[in-house]
Amino acid sequence: MSYAYYPGCSLEATAKEYDISFRSVFTALGVDYQEIEDWSCCGASAAHATSRLLSVALPARDLGKAEAMGRDVVAPCPACYQNLKHAREFVLESEENREKLRRALEGTGVKVEGSVKVKHVLEVLLKDIGIEKIAEKVAEPLEGLRVVPYYGCYIVRPPGRESFDDVENPTSMDRIIQALGATVLPFTRKTRCCGAPVMMSQEEEMHRLSYEIIKEAREAGAQAIVVACPMCHFSLDAKQPEIESHMGEQLGVPVLYITQLIGLALGLDPYAELGMDKNMVAPDEIIRKYSKKAVKAKA
Amino acid sequence: MTDFRSEVIAAGGEGITACYQCGTCSGGCPTVSAMDYTPRQIIRMVNLGMRDRVLSSRTIWLCATCYQCQVRCPREVKITEVMAALKSIAMREGYNSHVARPRAVSFYRSFNEIVSNLGRQFEPLLLMKTALGSREGITSKLGYLLRSAPFGIALMKKGKLPFRPEKISGRDEVRRIFENVARMEAGE
Repeated sequence: MSYAYYPGCSLEATAKEYDISFRSVFTALGVDYQEIEDWSCCGASAAHATSRLLSVALPARDLGKAEAMGRDVVAPCPACYQNLKHAREFVLESEENREKLRRALEGTGVKVEGSVKVKHVLEVLLKDIGIEKIAEKVAEPLEGLRVVPYYGCYIVRPPGRESFDDVENPTSMDRIIQALGATVLPFTRKTRCCGAPVMMSQEEEMHRLSYEIIKEAREAGAQAIVVACPMCHFSLDAKQPEIESHMGEQLGVPVLYITQLIGLALGLDPYAELGMDKNMVAPDEIIRKYSKKAVKAKA
Repeated sequence: MTDFRSEVIAAGGEGITACYQCGTCSGGCPTVSAMDYTPRQIIRMVNLGMRDRVLSSRTIWLCATCYQCQVRCPREVKITEVMAALKSIAMREGYNSHVARPRAVSFYRSFNEIVSNLGRQFEPLLLMKTALGSREGITSKLGYLLRSAPFGIALMKKGKLPFRPEKISGRDEVRRIFENVARMEAGE
């Protein structure tokens, strides 16, 4: 198992803790990953809204670099994952598409054949590494911890040619969480959009959608919401204080990346190795209860 | 009259003629309550060639690209791609007149400009450019930026907002891709 790691722009900034915890957990699980050198932005929602060709040509540059490395891509960000995956499917679809893309990449030296796969981090954890291997490495079972898994949109939608989870009721994260010893609570808004893509243009819609998700989690008795997307995390965690003040209601539900939760169960350092001091809604109680390292550090 | 339909299909909105108006799309849409026309209505209006009304609608900018409608459509209409195609046509033709949504187009434009210059996104600049480039009044622009300032500071304290952007060495290649695509689209 060796991968070309594509962090994407968010993981360099607002989702720093996703990058930190991804690297630590993959290292602890003994997975070989190597960051794609000099990678560029996948184009996200802006390229998609501008031109279909642009939304394929931008991630093609990164895909070409991964092909040169001869490694499948692992992307923690579901939007990056979708864009790179879509670029690959576009290339494989027809000669007409390949010709279009060749013209779009003219003068860049980039070549793309669709020879490597594009995988989301959940797919690698579940299908390549496997639940058993993760369960084996658990050092601090998260017994008694009640959480809800929130998938959002791009992990499962659109499914494309190949997808690794169910489009209406995904369970990959559920199964990983259970393997760590924690309890997964029933949650109806698993794949309901959090509103992140319209955050800058229509704040009030994002507030309403994210509020409904956090509210349901809180009413279900969840001690945390677990996510695998930097944009979902931004809406639910970073924007939670703003949502609270808009709605006039205290919520206080921590939002953890799946890699942070795995790392905690593997006994990794919650701060240095998992970046858990960077979450805006502080997950202090969970750290106190489940991390021996943190207790030692405090003492 | 129906030229508009072909235009939308060419821009990526595949399958649109198969719609039988069941409304599954509107039923699952997370932002439908704020829209002026439901997704089902937009599809019908495109098929009827109601170009101007569709392109000046609030709906296309409220689409969060969540793909819920598209995966549930029993007729396999690529509804989310239709919305993206409508956004791209509206942006190209300067339809940004909807006073209630002045920041949508500015967001996409600013995003592309930054990536084209740096090769990667730089979030603090994106926020500023989006606000300053929007079609709202100066008071509203400054209000938005001022309201965002404490949040930016909170992120900075957590080490989540870099002060300087990463300039990748292949940024000329990225810019070249933008130029190539623009040239190809203009020629088509």
